[in-house]
This record gives sequence, C-alpha cells and structure tokens, in this order.
Amino acid sequence: MDGEIAAEGGRGILGTRAGRALAANWAAGFLLLMLIVFSLTGRNFLSIVNFQNVIQIQTVPFLLAAAETFVVITGGIDLSVGFVMGLASVGAARIMQLMLAASVAPGWAIAAAIAAVLVGSLLPGLVNGIVITKFKVPPFIATMGMFGIANGLALKISQGFPLGGLPDQLSAIGNGYLLYVLPGEFVSLFSRPASIPYARIREIARLVPLTLPFIVIALAALSFALKRARFGRHTYAIGGSMDAAVRSGIAVDRHLVKVYVLSSFLAGLAGVVNIFQTGIGNYTTFNAQYEFFAVAAVVLGGASLAGGKGRIWSSALGVLVLAFLENGLAISGILPFYRYIAVGVLLVVAVVIDKLFPDAR
Amino acid sequence: MSKNRQPALADGAPTGGRGRAFASSVKGSWVLIFLGLEIAFFCFKSPGFAAFDSGQMLLFYGVQVFLLATAELFVIITGGIDLSVGYVLGFASIVSIKLIGWFGSLGLGTGLSLLLGVGATLLVGLIPGLVNGALVAYLDVPPFIATFSMLGVCHGVSELIINGVYAMGLPKLASDIGTGHLMYVGPGGASLFQKPIVDRGVSVLEIVPNIVVVTAIVVGIFAFALARSKFGRHVYAIGGNVDAAVRAGIPVKRRLLGVYATSSFLASLAGVVYAFMYVSGKADAGASLLLDSIAAVVIGGASMFGGSGTVGRTMIGALIIAVLDLGLRMSGTPTFDKYILVGVILILAVIVERYMQEAA
Repeated sequence: MDGEIAAEGGRGILGTRAGRALAANWAAGFLLLMLIVFSLTGRNFLSIVNFQNVIQIQTVPFLLAAAETFVVITGGIDLSVGFVMGLASVGAARIMQLMLAASVAPGWAIAAAIAAVLVGSLLPGLVNGIVITKFKVPPFIATMGMFGIANGLALKISQGFPLGGLPDQLSAIGNGYLLYVLPGEFVSLFSRPASIPYARIREIARLVPLTLPFIVIALAALSFALKRARFGRHTYAIGGSMDAAVRSGIAVDRHLVKVYVLSSFLAGLAGVVNIFQTGIGNYTTFNAQYEFFAVAAVVLGGASLAGGKGRIWSSALGVLVLAFLENGLAISGILPFYRYIAVGVLLVVAVVIDKLFPDAR
Repeated sequence: MSKNRQPALADGAPTGGRGRAFASSVKGSWVLIFLGLEIAFFCFKSPGFAAFDSGQMLLFYGVQVFLLATAELFVIITGGIDLSVGYVLGFASIVSIKLIGWFGSLGLGTGLSLLLGVGATLLVGLIPGLVNGALVAYLDVPPFIATFSMLGVCHGVSELIINGVYAMGLPKLASDIGTGHLMYVGPGGASLFQKPIVDRGVSVLEIVPNIVVVTAIVVGIFAFALARSKFGRHVYAIGGNVDAAVRAGIPVKRRLLGVYATSSFLASLAGVVYAFMYVSGKADAGASLLLDSIAAVVIGGASMFGGSGTVGRTMIGALIIAVLDLGLRMSGTPTFDKYILVGVILILAVIVERYMQEAA
C-alpha cells in the first residue's frame, strides 16, 4: 500500500524537487502561513507580548513533546507523561504545604519539594521501562497503566482540588521576565524597580520570559543528547531496527529503560514548571490530553510512530504549529472548539504527506 | 506475540449459550477466578455489596464500558486502536438529544420522535467510524493518529453544537426508559415496564434495568457476529496476519472500514444510552472511559498486536472494572483508588496472560 501511494505521488506535480522540498518543510511552511494569516485576521497577534505569552504557555508542551520524541523514536509511546506531570505538580505542592506548616523557610521548602519531585519522577519511568523490557508488556499498555496509576495518586494527594497556599515566590519566578524596560527611564533585570508607581505598571515593557532561556537550554541539551551523544545514536538504532541494535552490541533493554526514565523525568520537570507558572499544584484532568497533544506535535514534526525518525527541534516546531493554531484562532475571535477539529485535520494531513514522500524528512 | 490467532478459538462468546463454548473460552483463565475473588472481597469488605440490587447497579453503571469495550475489541483484534470512542460517545449523547428535540418540534409524538431521534443518531454515529476506517484502510494512516484526529473532530463538533454547555431537554419518557426496569414486583403483583404506584415505605422489587437489557442484546449480537459470521472470521484473519488475509482474498480494506464503523456505532449507542440515563449530553461524557474500555479488552486477554480476543472474555474484563468501581464506592473508599487499581490490573493482566501462554 505504501509503495503504491508513494509512486503515485512521485508521478504527480509534487514529485518535482520543489514539491519534495515543500513536503520536507511543510510544517514550517504551514507555521509561516498561519503567522501571516493570523497577523491579518487577529488584532495584536503580531506582537512581542503575544509571542512571549505563547512561549510561556507552551513550556510544558515543549517538555512533554521532547520526552515523547525519545520514546517515539524507539518505536514506543508514553501515554503517562500528562498524568506524571500532574502527579509531580500536586506532589511538589503537598510537600511544600507540609514543610511550610512545619515552618520551614519558603525558599528551602521550594528547593526541597523540587528536588524530591524530580528524583521521584524517575520512578514512573523506571517502572514503565522495566515492565516493557523485562515483562514484554507493549509500551501502549504499560504506559496506559501508569497513566491510571499516576492519575489516581495525583487525585489522592490533591483530593480532587488544586493545592494552594504556596509561597508567592513560585509564580513570581515562573512568570518573571529577564528585562523590565520603561523606555527612556530604566532597564531593570529580573524585577521591576520598586520605585515605579502602581499606576504606571502597565507602561513597563516586559521582555524575555524566564521560561524562554530555560526551555531553549533544555531543548538544546536534549537535542544534543539525541543528535551528537551515544545516547541518541542508540535511541535511533533501536528504533531503526531492534535486531540490528542487538547485534551491534547495544544493551537494548537497559537503554529502553533509560529512555522511559528520561521521559518521565521530563514530565516531572514539566510538573515543576507548571507549579512555578500557576503558583498552585494542579492534577491533570482527562480533558487536557497532554500525552496525545505531545504525540501529535511529535508526528507533526515528522517522526514516525513506527520509530527510527524524529528530532527535538522538529517536535518543538510541531508544538508551535499546534500553539499558534490555538492562539491565532482565539485572537481572531473564532470559537475555540474549531481548534480541536483543526488539530485533527492537520494531523491526518501530516501523516498523509509523510506517506506521499517517505524520504522527504 | 499471541498464540490465539486461529479464528476457531474465537468461539465461545456468551451467546453460544452458557454451556461448553463459554466454558472453553474461559477455561484455564485466571480472569474469571480473579473476578470471583474480587466479588468475594467486596462482599466481605462492604456489607450490602452481596445484594441483588448491587448486582443490578453494577450492570447499570457499567453499560458504557460494556459497549465501548466491545467496540474497542473489534478494532484491537485487527491490531488497531480506537482512541475516539469516548468522544464519539459524547458526540452521540448530544446529537441524540438535539435530534429528538428536533423531531419533537415537528409535532411528532414523543415515542415516535424518540425512535426517529435514536435511529438517526445511530446513523450519524457511523460517520466517525467510516472516516476512521477510510483513513486507516485507504490512506494508510496509523490507527493511533487517525482515531486521535477523529477524537479532536468529535470533541470540536460536539462543543460547537452545544456551544460549550450541556445538551438538555429530553422528554420525560426518555429518562423513564433510561432509568426504568423491565419488570416490577410489588404487593399488587408483577408489572412490565410500568413502576406500580405504592405507598411510601412499601418496597417494589425492580428487575433488570432496561438499558442493561438493550446492552446485553446488542453486545450479544456483536459477540455472535464476531464468533460465528464471515465478518468475524475476517476480522480475526486480518489481525492474525494482514498479508495472509490479503492472499486469502479477504477484502481487507472494506472489512477495516466495517470494523471502525462497528466501533463508532457501538460508541454512539453508548452515547444514546448515556443521554437516556442522565438526561443530558456533553462533549466529554466519555473522556474518562477510554482507559476503562481498553483495559477491559486487555484484561480479557486480547493481544494489542491483534488476532485474539473474544467478547465473552472482554465482558469479564469489563465486569472486573465495574465490580471494582462499585465495590470501592460502596466501601467508602474515594474512587481515586479505582484509577490506580485499573492501571495496576491492566499491567498485571498482560504479564499474567503471557506467563500463562508460555506455561501452556
């Protein structure tokens, strides 16, 4: 079936070199097209404030898509990332609440909670990895089981309510900016000068959300690990051909466990980001579907669910496509519900294009 | 992966009578033993669980999972997955209420508008499945992506229809059917469908909720189709080995279309039943049921790689979840524990199943 469709595509207009190049970068092209269209249809779409907001909101999806990229390259899937993230968020919140109640200084409470959660978030991945490699449970089932377990634990910890009463520093840092500028008067790092009267706060330009350098560094490190490091080579090797990977002496099981541990660690990190940005501990709702949107971003970025293909920056591009689709539609005053439909259509188009040009990316 | 790839092993869905066929399908099966232990545990743990009414309640609140699990089973046997069932359920719950309201506004009688509304909803409910099937079979889109996309489309369209709130306004007759029972036995004798009017404090024995009857019949029909019809044999053959199925002259693409249509038909029925039970429709009515329905199929021993699984065993898987749900509720444990336990049982089920097959 594959070959047939590809051959037909090859004969058509899109079989030309230009067509091939277009297919290879269609997600980027689509993003560009969206940016142009929404600039015309949405008021204030094309503004630094809006773009910064998009980056801020997408920090969590960036991390989850990066996590999913590693797993998808191995030919697996991790459905638990969204709920592990929620578990990390409420887990950290609960630890902070308990430590604050024991009159620990807020700074220490935050540091201890983050450390505990980041270490703890290795555990779901470890279980996933062992269940998948040692007990040969398909990744879909193993991580779906973990999806239920993490969801139940998060709900138990939070009792079904967001956990508040946390230190103010959280959202101050999570929503902070690198530069606060009032043209002609001051440029201030990390926080606005206390001297500025409340009435003039709105005049201050806030530039570079702190999450921007954070996510760029995180993605760059992950991209390096995937492209340049042995870890990445092994990841691609397993996804390309499990047998070949075994023959070439890669400890496949050990590596797969590491990949799932990395995935749930990044989900835990996303939970930490979540608590910094919202200032409260949030459990993940079924509606959020973080894991599915993460997979969608990875697929939009050109990865194949069959494994062997995928790149961190391409997945990040996929996240941006989904993000600007949502943001642009909202700013253009279109009902948010169209977004769900648009995502669905876009995903199918992505896969069909990849089928038509199997070698494009 | 699985050794149960022969269609012959598909025999023994519950419609084959409660006799030998059924027994053979669960022979040596730990799931039935597990279900028994689970029921015994909850009977012991929460007084009142071992009652006729709890049994009925369990089936009543389980209908959505029974239907969605059957839907998922067909797809999983072909080696696919249908992520859209939960949102097709929500979509159908909304469409049924809107259509029934529309037929009612045409001046048709309540009964007729219910009938036409339900019929039309089930027809509309085929569309998501046909699109899924076309994407999977003809455009070679992976089932995960195709059905996830359909999930989004159903979610979006549902919310657009109701503009982000609930669908409401079903006639009272609908909820009478949805929450009613087949038979009532009171002091004045037995009656069918109509609950007798009795004085306060006089108890009326209610026997079998209507929707449980409907669900049992529909699941039974699909169980029969899977176990005995040519369609069913083809479904197993496709899951066992697609290439062999093609060589054997099975119209694989048409069958896949049929399988995904079956899935969304059953999900739509679950949505209609939801509307009749709760007299409301909402887009995310079935959002949390995806885990339960896939878990039921997998606990029932079907392989995610396709080719194996029966409706009978899937129903046992669904019952394990339903018992867990009601048992936890009745013993006063927060339902949060249910998600954890379903997750654990899901993983253990696959491990135990593998172990059993290797031992066999």
